[in-house]
Amino acid sequence: MAAVAVHQFAPCITCHAWSPDRSMVAFCPNNSEVHIYKLSEDKWEQAHILQKHDQIVSGIDWSSRANRIVTVSHDRNSYVWNYEGSEWVPTLVILRLNRAALCVQWSPQENKFAVGSGAKTVCICYYEQENNWWVSKLIRKRHNSSVTSVAWHPNNILLATTSTDGKCRVFSTFIKGVDTRDSKAGSSSDSKFGQQILQLDLSFSWAFGVNWSPSGNTLAYVGHSSTIYFVDDVGPSPLAQNVAFRDLPLRDVLFISEKVVIGVGFDCNPMVFAADESGMWSFVRFLGERKTSSTGPKYGSQFSEAFGKLYGQSKHGINNDGVDNSRQRGGVHENCITCIVPLGEAGSSTITRFSTSGLDGKVVIWDLESQQDLLEYL
Amino acid sequence: MMVVTDDFVEADNAEAIISRIEHKSRKTESLLKQSKLVEALKTALEGWPPNTRDERCKSANWIVVHRAIMAMKDLDALFSSLDPEYYNILMKYLYRGLSTGDRPTCDQCLRIHERLTERAGLGCILRSLADTTNTV
Repeated sequence: MAAVAVHQFAPCITCHAWSPDRSMVAFCPNNSEVHIYKLSEDKWEQAHILQKHDQIVSGIDWSSRANRIVTVSHDRNSYVWNYEGSEWVPTLVILRLNRAALCVQWSPQENKFAVGSGAKTVCICYYEQENNWWVSKLIRKRHNSSVTSVAWHPNNILLATTSTDGKCRVFSTFIKGVDTRDSKAGSSSDSKFGQQILQLDLSFSWAFGVNWSPSGNTLAYVGHSSTIYFVDDVGPSPLAQNVAFRDLPLRDVLFISEKVVIGVGFDCNPMVFAADESGMWSFVRFLGERKTSSTGPKYGSQFSEAFGKLYGQSKHGINNDGVDNSRQRGGVHENCITCIVPLGEAGSSTITRFSTSGLDGKVVIWDLESQQDLLEYL
Repeated sequence: MMVVTDDFVEADNAEAIISRIEHKSRKTESLLKQSKLVEALKTALEGWPPNTRDERCKSANWIVVHRAIMAMKDLDALFSSLDPEYYNILMKYLYRGLSTGDRPTCDQCLRIHERLTERAGLGCILRSLADTTNTV
């Protein structure tokens, strides 16, 4: 079994993040709070509740070196939490947004964080030592709709964003005084803050979940049309691939190595995509088990009853299983998975452990050690 | 796949597209007469997207596709020889057919929808719903 641990923390979880030593998990139980649970002797105990936001906390990220938590919420605010003594102390970050904040991520060097918002802007926040506060710089142009996801390139300067306008964009977030100019000529640090490096028009519907490969050479993001897009050699002449798959759309993706991507979404089951030697990406398999009912509904038991009514034919019969199976897909998650977080060492190029959280309120830890067929792809 | 602008460019004017559709219609009719039903459907589905927002062109194309869909009898043969690249576009036309409300059309489209979903999965349905740019 790839799923090594499952825990039901709440009726519904919007997002989660892990402490640097992986002993604590912070998540939002679909309200304005952030709960932190600690694992002690195989039992999860509630350690802290962070209460500062007025509305749903839509994004949490926990930096691994500085041990700081950043939270963003629909209340248009962000807080950076520092652990002092035995309490988490919040610092308000004025994002200057007039719409909800939707996602957040610390940069690889943890000196900046990016926030995507419904205001069609991205906020890049950095710490100003003299004033002892976090400053927000906005990327106002380019996006035509909400920014659903942000992802930092390993070089700490490039940021990829996805938006409900269907496009994925890469920007430079170089900030004088925070970032240092690279000595390599023609590298990304030549660009100004907010300059758009690339815009990818591959999707005709909403785009979610973007992630860079460990080297930063490849980008993956998902579209709501049950498609995942892979872009190699991100730069002046990128190579793009659309992989359309059979099942329901994804919401988030994670590179676990240069050649393997895990996608999570409405099928409640992580999907594995891998690139072969020639660089062609394709769907490999689902990670969790899929239950196939004995009556043989071909579309997944969740829909067999609905399809039976649609096609109105007696051969589907009174599918008693249909009612019971409406939630049980045989997988570990029972509802849409919205968030996938790596559990390896920060900056390592191959990850075999990661966790997922979803609208069913569960956090599931997955380990690929037992999945021999997949380890060969890594 | 390079950087593209947001502007929707009309590739050809409507007249050029309609004459192409008429040509396609004649070809489809002759294939139907020869009982090459799958070929007829492929011909009808080809040349898409027409890269136009003109409703007349879309309706003209729909009439050709509708002819081919209604002539379908053997669905097993259809799916064993129809290339997967046609699945998404066929699904879009099936939904257009279902939206007509015309009983024979809906019956036929529903029959094909069932088989196509089995073949192509729910993702195919998603692609026909989520794509609001390239509509039929």
